[in-house]
Amino acid sequence: MKHPLEVRLASVFKDIRTGPGPDGRLAVAAPAESVVPVLTFLKEDGFDFLQLVSCVDWIREDQIEVVYLLSKYVPAGGEAEAGVTGIVLKTRVPRAEPVLATSIHVFPVAEPYEREMHELFGVTFEGHPRLIPLLLEREYKIPPFRKDFDTRKYCEDFFGSVPPVGEKK
Amino acid sequence: MDRNQFIKWIESPGKMAHKYSLHAVYFSTGCGIIEVPPSITARWDAERFGVIPTATPRHANLFLITGYVSLKTLRAIIRTYEQMPEPKFTVGFGSCPINGGMYYDSYNTIKHLDRYMPIDGYIAGCMPRPEAIFIAVTHLWTLIDKDMADGYKRYRKYYAQYRANQERVLGRLEWPPLFPLEKVHEASA
Repeated sequence: MKHPLEVRLASVFKDIRTGPGPDGRLAVAAPAESVVPVLTFLKEDGFDFLQLVSCVDWIREDQIEVVYLLSKYVPAGGEAEAGVTGIVLKTRVPRAEPVLATSIHVFPVAEPYEREMHELFGVTFEGHPRLIPLLLEREYKIPPFRKDFDTRKYCEDFFGSVPPVGEKK
Repeated sequence: MDRNQFIKWIESPGKMAHKYSLHAVYFSTGCGIIEVPPSITARWDAERFGVIPTATPRHANLFLITGYVSLKTLRAIIRTYEQMPEPKFTVGFGSCPINGGMYYDSYNTIKHLDRYMPIDGYIAGCMPRPEAIFIAVTHLWTLIDKDMADGYKRYRKYYAQYRANQERVLGRLEWPPLFPLEKVHEASA
């Protein structure tokens, strides 16, 4: 038996897949172009709290998965709709050219998450007002959180090449 | 006052005064900050040794770098260090400033802090106990007595090399050189 929210989602969006997720959440898989409409729909449906936007590098499948976690606060005295405590919205983009539309106009809190993913995974968010580095100080050829970034080799090449300062012993 | 040290006080009062009034700026980069509150408060009471935390690096002469140093932190550490008046002493706290520690393969954490700024001593351990801070302080007293805590002099002497290493990892630095680069370079060559 499908949850009413799944039926509502399926009636609006034809190209998404839904199913039960972990911890009573509802898992939603959507193509990249319908992420923002799905987020807008879910926000109007009551899931108005974007907990987290994260990213997974599926190197063997040559894809990058962006994960949105949504939940809602139950007002004091109110009762939650049975069944669904949160939403896990996943979308996949090709690894060579990971481009997504920004969701800032739906959830303003997504701004630092998108900046972080831009610098650590190299995902570009179209329409983001300032995709400047958030945490890192340097430019990396490969974004450092991707699976093909060899941290040990990078450390040996980069930090190992810094010479010790000539001090008398 | 220890009577045995009376001669020292007469000979070099400045050195003794520096020695027994170490004003520390704790740069709490990592987990080392956990050890600092017990060591400066009643349990271990750093003021027995004349170590007292200061509000600003411009009042300090002891710089404790307590924990790993990421690239972004290194920029702040160098700025803090250059603001401190001379003579100034630096102590790396924990294994991370020594060689990276458990962050030896981190893409964003520097491995050898002494390649970017002079360090007078290290406290090894992950994490060191608060007692180790006081052992370090007594060692530092000995070093100051013997004129071996000369990190600030080395910074002046090898400033060109330090600055080159800093620019190598941080890119462009926003602040002008603390010391003239060319003159120092010739002197060290």
